[in-house]
Amino acid sequence: MATHEEITASLLAFQESYNKNERLKQMNRDWDRVILIEASDIPSRHTLELRGGELSVREGAPPRPDLVVIADSETLTDLFYGDITPTEPYMNGTLKIIGSEDDIVRLDFISLMIWGE
Amino acid sequence: MQLKRVLTLRTVVATSAGLTLASSTFVAAVQVAGFLAGDAAWLAIFTSGLLCFGAAACFSELNARYPSAAGIRLYFARAFGERVALVVSLLYMAVVLGVVGAESYVLAQSLTFAVPFVPPLAWIMIVYVLVTGLNIRGIKIAGNFQDLITYGMMVALVALGLAALAQRGFALQAPLATGGPASFINAVAVGIFLFVGFEWAAPLAEEVVHTRLVSRGMLLAVGLLSLVYAVFTVAMTVVVPREELLSSPVPHMLFARHALGPAGVWAMVGLSLAASATTFNAGLISVSRFIYASARECVLPPVFSRVSMRFFTPWVAVLTVFVIGVSASVGVLLTGCYLTIVNLAAAMESLVYVLAALAVVALRRKEPAACGYTVRGGLFVPALTAAVFLGLLGAVVLVNPAVGLYLLAGLALTWLYVRHVVPALKEKYRRERRSRRRQSSPRPGALP
Repeated sequence: MATHEEITASLLAFQESYNKNERLKQMNRDWDRVILIEASDIPSRHTLELRGGELSVREGAPPRPDLVVIADSETLTDLFYGDITPTEPYMNGTLKIIGSEDDIVRLDFISLMIWGE
Repeated sequence: MQLKRVLTLRTVVATSAGLTLASSTFVAAVQVAGFLAGDAAWLAIFTSGLLCFGAAACFSELNARYPSAAGIRLYFARAFGERVALVVSLLYMAVVLGVVGAESYVLAQSLTFAVPFVPPLAWIMIVYVLVTGLNIRGIKIAGNFQDLITYGMMVALVALGLAALAQRGFALQAPLATGGPASFINAVAVGIFLFVGFEWAAPLAEEVVHTRLVSRGMLLAVGLLSLVYAVFTVAMTVVVPREELLSSPVPHMLFARHALGPAGVWAMVGLSLAASATTFNAGLISVSRFIYASARECVLPPVFSRVSMRFFTPWVAVLTVFVIGVSASVGVLLTGCYLTIVNLAAAMESLVYVLAALAVVALRRKEPAACGYTVRGGLFVPALTAAVFLGLLGAVVLVNPAVGLYLLAGLALTWLYVRHVVPALKEKYRRERRSRRRQSSPRPGALP
């Protein structure tokens, strides 16, 4: 089980890598989304917000997210560090994503572009 | 907590019915009628629809348990293990590509029927290039447009059917004559093809307020489709001699010409295009996304997960589907084996429904924690669904032994692939991935 701080650190690593990628920022400039990241085994909630191509991370849950990402703390941490791809935990039910299919696919593309195949 | 955007029941019904309504379903509808003695196709179609209610109920329970776009891949993995889920999913996607091949064949023949100087192969290429182009650019039919196409098609097909029947004074010949139990069972078995894909609405579970909406949507879609197919098929058999319908790859075009003349032909071209558009949209996007997702989890080589930096779409997967789809369509065009694919799809769908019913039973035992929706009556509905669809699968295979052989060969090949190639791919590409988590130094988690 990972801690809330470890999830935060993984999200910061994700944010840092994302914001370094100018092309990715350019591609997402029209994709404004609010994403809730929630751990299922510990009390931990974060908000990822994409606005104008810039990604920010903050503590707590947003009132009306576009996407909700739910998994155990260990999976979330591995996921945002890029140690695992989202597909496998998604396919076996460990990772739940609530939102439109297009948004879910876009999120996976972003992860692919940050961390590679 | 509420999401910003959610889908309504109207769109769920439209998606479920839209995926199912295709040009090739007219061919299957005529095959259903061909098994029966009188104008009793409606009886077989309603029975197929009724049986699909059982399957829909099972999918509803699975969907309530795991509301995920991963669908059968996830349900079967939980119930029977990763390997079985992968074998069935890979084979199912291959059959879907075959259905798309048959669909493009029927559509091309329909267009050539209206515009004879353009050969079917040219239409096939035009359709594929257009659909692949749209798919690479990330443009798809969705939301209100999907609703408009599907509901418009259903209303138009019922109106055409009723108008044709009214012309003949609703004079049905022996509307209850099935020609015996064996004929009726075969008609019902092929009738399952008419509903192939209704359960593809399950991925919408992540976009609705309550998963119950998806269950209701699937049931409503099956009910509406039963009505539309019943009216239209009976109208076709009343207006056009049965032998003429059975020997044609475009029975709906023959019907339109007999019933309404040249204007009817052009109206039917429009309906056929609309029916195929929703099928291509769903089929090709689903298969390309499946290939992409499989590459992401190392079930296929990573090259298939390449994403277009311009359009945010998996272009290698899309082009792969294009190549396989065109090959399948040309194969169907050269061999004219579209009926074999229709029967193969009916058999595969029956197998998937059997497994879905068994998955409900297995998961109730394995993971008894309450889920959002449980089919009433204990094990009665899943057990009956499994038994009925197993019987229908047997009926399809008995009448078409080649279909049974293809299905077995497909299962054997995918099993070998999953047993030997997938572990090697996973081993190879996972070894290359290094842990960033262990390498990174702990960071203070100071956030706003």
